[in-house]
Amino acid sequence: MRLLTHNMLSCNIKGVTNGFPLKLEADKWVTKEVDLNADFLRGIFPKIEWSALLAAARALGFAELPEQADASMLSSDDFLRRFHHALLELHVEEGALVCPETGRKFPINKGIPNMLLHEDEV
Amino acid sequence: MSNSQSPDSSVPVKQKKKRNKTLHSSGLPIPIPMSTLLHSYTPPSVSLRLRPRRSRYLRPLRFQFGRMGNSMVRAQAATEVTEAATSEGLKKGIAEFYDESSGVWESVWGDHMHHGFYEPDTAASLSDHRPAQIRMIEEALSFAGVSDDPMKKPKTIVDVGCGIGGSSRYLAKKYGAQCRGITLSPIQAQRAQELAAAEGLADKVSFQVADALQQPFPDGEFDLVWSMESGEHMPDKMKFVSELARVAAPGATIIIVTWCHRDLSPSEDSLKPDEIALLNKICDAYYLPAWCSASDYVNIAKSLSLENIKTADWSDNVAPFWPAVIRSAFTWQGFTSLLRSGWKTIRGALVMPLMIEGYKKNLIKFAVITCTKPN
Repeated sequence: MRLLTHNMLSCNIKGVTNGFPLKLEADKWVTKEVDLNADFLRGIFPKIEWSALLAAARALGFAELPEQADASMLSSDDFLRRFHHALLELHVEEGALVCPETGRKFPINKGIPNMLLHEDEV
Repeated sequence: MSNSQSPDSSVPVKQKKKRNKTLHSSGLPIPIPMSTLLHSYTPPSVSLRLRPRRSRYLRPLRFQFGRMGNSMVRAQAATEVTEAATSEGLKKGIAEFYDESSGVWESVWGDHMHHGFYEPDTAASLSDHRPAQIRMIEEALSFAGVSDDPMKKPKTIVDVGCGIGGSSRYLAKKYGAQCRGITLSPIQAQRAQELAAAEGLADKVSFQVADALQQPFPDGEFDLVWSMESGEHMPDKMKFVSELARVAAPGATIIIVTWCHRDLSPSEDSLKPDEIALLNKICDAYYLPAWCSASDYVNIAKSLSLENIKTADWSDNVAPFWPAVIRSAFTWQGFTSLLRSGWKTIRGALVMPLMIEGYKKNLIKFAVITCTKPN
């Protein structure tokens, strides 16, 4: 699971009002290199919740993202490289996504998050 | 099912409830065919006396139709609710069915787990099918009016009931978009991801194990919401379409391609008993909950204030498909794959002639329903 995906997953347990962002607990993650596409990064940037990306990247030991980000930074190659790396090159293979409100853990196995709810959570 | 008008609407039919699993896990009751409900709007005093048979059309039910809230139909059956009819049982059945049979399908039919679109009355050969499956995707996009224009084309797509990701990968490539696929089957999700990586699309598509009735995405996330032959698995059509609408961004297009039963005529309250019997047999083998009609989908979309609602009957365009699937099961590869698979897959294969029977009787319809989310 890449952090781009993490950025659009939320907890949908019944009654939860604040299910985003899910906290990332990673037991196993890898880096997979991907070609940088600046146009793509500039296009996706407005849709990214920066604080969620920041926290998730930190959970994977990547602390090189700025605390805040705005569109003007997209002209910097250095910023694009860091953004690219965090968003697309870090893959969580095993771990869990934790609901910020209930603490419920959604497992990640072989890179695939399992977001199925139990009967009593619906 | 027979209808009786009870003079006193407050007298309930006797109900024998053996297990407290008559409610869908969403809190809504397990639905009987939408058509029976939608045609029961006006008389709140209708009570349905149901024959005690094991059938997924005979379930205790109280249904409130979204914003048209005054159409409550109380239908109570003296049948025991079987495990398959409960939400958890159904989801488990679906997951296991596809965990088991995905590999067989893929080896014979490739990565698109849906019907091909053919010119009516053509005899199609095996080599025609993959292009026909691609054509099905293109026809659906064209029917919905999805734009190719770089400024207007979809940038984020959700594939609801994604199988092994055939549509996801195709759409991601076609539009250069990000695509998220969801499936109940962990094996399918895994396979989908492998195929994406193999095609160099791992940075464009990703797959999650999730329930279409509880999509793990925030509101308004996607420009294109795609459901290709997964609607038939959804036990609660209203919830299904509500979720599609919820995750759709303002102005987004929603495309549903699905199996339905024929529309009921104005004088009908339900399908005929022999029609119900045929559908039940198919339901059991394919882990399908109760069927609805294309009109039911249209009405649901209207009730959710979705716009530009269109539907078409493509039954004639998919007619060559099931005979072709059956023929493929009798090829050496098909046959040996089936034998190596498991009972669920084999049973699914054995039931294929029933699908043809259903189409021939104009009972089963292949429908496309599209609409847009208001801006």
